[in-house]
Amino acid sequence: MNPAVGLFAFLAVSLATAVIGFYGLRVSRTTSDFYVASRTVPPWWNASAIGGEYLSAASFLGVAGLILLSGTDALWFPVGYTAGYLMLLLFVAAPLRRSGAYTIPDFTEARLDSAVVRRVTSLVVVAVGWLYIVPQLHGAALTIRITTGLPSWVGSTAVVAVVCLTVVAGGMRSITFVQAFQYWLKLTALAVPVVFILLVLSANGTPPQATLPINPTGQAAAGAYQHISLLVALLFGTLGLPHVLVRFYTNPDGQSARRTTLIVLGLLSVFYLFPTVSGALGRMFAPGLALTGQADALVLLLPGKLIGGMAGDLLSALVVAGAFAAFLSTTSGLVVSLSGVISQDLFGGSVRGFRLAAVMAAVVPLGFAFMTDTLALAGSVGLVFAFTASTICPVLLLGIWWRGLTDVGAIAGMVTGALLCGGAMVMGALLGAANAPAWLAQPAAWSVPAAFTVTVAASLLTKNRVPSSVNRVMSRLHVPERPVATER
Amino acid sequence: MTRVRVTAPRQSAAPTSSRVLHTQEAAEDSDAGRIFVRSLIRSQLRLALVVACGFLIILAVFATILVYGPGVAGTRVFGIPLDWLTLGVGIYPVIGLSAWLYNRAAARNEARYQDLVEDK
Repeated sequence: MNPAVGLFAFLAVSLATAVIGFYGLRVSRTTSDFYVASRTVPPWWNASAIGGEYLSAASFLGVAGLILLSGTDALWFPVGYTAGYLMLLLFVAAPLRRSGAYTIPDFTEARLDSAVVRRVTSLVVVAVGWLYIVPQLHGAALTIRITTGLPSWVGSTAVVAVVCLTVVAGGMRSITFVQAFQYWLKLTALAVPVVFILLVLSANGTPPQATLPINPTGQAAAGAYQHISLLVALLFGTLGLPHVLVRFYTNPDGQSARRTTLIVLGLLSVFYLFPTVSGALGRMFAPGLALTGQADALVLLLPGKLIGGMAGDLLSALVVAGAFAAFLSTTSGLVVSLSGVISQDLFGGSVRGFRLAAVMAAVVPLGFAFMTDTLALAGSVGLVFAFTASTICPVLLLGIWWRGLTDVGAIAGMVTGALLCGGAMVMGALLGAANAPAWLAQPAAWSVPAAFTVTVAASLLTKNRVPSSVNRVMSRLHVPERPVATER
Repeated sequence: MTRVRVTAPRQSAAPTSSRVLHTQEAAEDSDAGRIFVRSLIRSQLRLALVVACGFLIILAVFATILVYGPGVAGTRVFGIPLDWLTLGVGIYPVIGLSAWLYNRAAARNEARYQDLVEDK
């Protein structure tokens, strides 16, 4: 591929991001503007922004790459990513918006009336955020390396620099616009090449090199345990992701939070059709990529391989632009939510503190990204979902629906989940992907139930610590804020 | 889009209209109000669990048929194997439909609660 293509696409996306970010600067001046865009973002904008933020490197590059590697087994990833939003809608969306908190630590502190719970939740949220940023930076490194031939660190450093600039300049208001734009860019960047390739292939009548059911790598198919564990991680992990949750505070009320989630589900369903088709095309027409360890770059390489020439270069540029939109939007979403947490706990919630925290939130994972490497983006993001599902999810679900939750229960649950799931991740990494047994590689199926059990058991043992405010908080979470009749 | 200026960042999402205060107070101050809130929470939780279980059962049935149904996975519809078609495309409308049904039912539960509180 022509190196100038990748570079040009990256610069164009960064510039567009910066311009929209700065345009937002004019309207964001108060602290509240910075944190949650004053809660006046309309549902369509908000849904596009949520979609833009959620569709990360794992969705844009990883899903197609994993489909190339393991076929129908990988189709469970997009299903899980989307169904996770269904769970979020069912159990979290409206009550969390009604809680009136800005971040997950705010929520747990208000619900359990305890500053210690807040501290622990903050630590977990920051860990999740950092873990989730690392694969984004790996994706950026891979994209820059494949498309321009520049060293890997250029990609990840550039993403961190652009994110820091936009977040520091505009806060959340401009992030909302940036991310809504980036959803549509990502969709276009995957859809146009896929449609084009399908048209060209059917016009030329190119025969496929392999048929769909054939497995190019000869990898063993995943068993029922892996599927179930993966689904547990994705279904329960989504509703604890800090950057997704912070988005719900920008809805005006609980009902619109639900409506927004419904739109998000539609946007995600449409989006995931295209990585799926890309992956299937890769299996049929470019199975060789699976053998050279470039599976995650499938989406980037497909237009050049199957079309080539000027048209191929243009389509490649579009895909590279979409890929960078994915890294930038997810990373900036995470950085915004992390800096919200860090600045409130460390710097007292001022705008200056928010900016300082933003830089902290982005630079630390850059260090991790330099030290580590990843083989499959979708897989490493799947592990972050498992970690979230084992730590934040039990506290959030039980906090919203069960009066009996206590501060001791919440802390015990989060610590158990973090130790079990984190331990499995470390052990799995030490053993290596090839040697780790399934229960270590996919810990969610046992670590999530364990975290729930410990949370409930510890809460039941400390019944006297149920906060006196529980009735007030619970009615605030669930009572509709406006007469429903005028809504329809 | 109207701008709302809020100067203090935390716990600032206090209810804004007097109508909201009315329902909130009604909810907290009387025994009847507390019972209404409890029953609202219980009905919303029941609804969410029913929809979640329904969806998971459909998903499990899909997966079981694909794995254990003899020859089902390889059947081709418009030239595409059935397992790709169901997992890659077919499951998404099910997710969307579940979400839409839930939204309607959840709003109905809230409307019923509000009627109760206002009739009091």
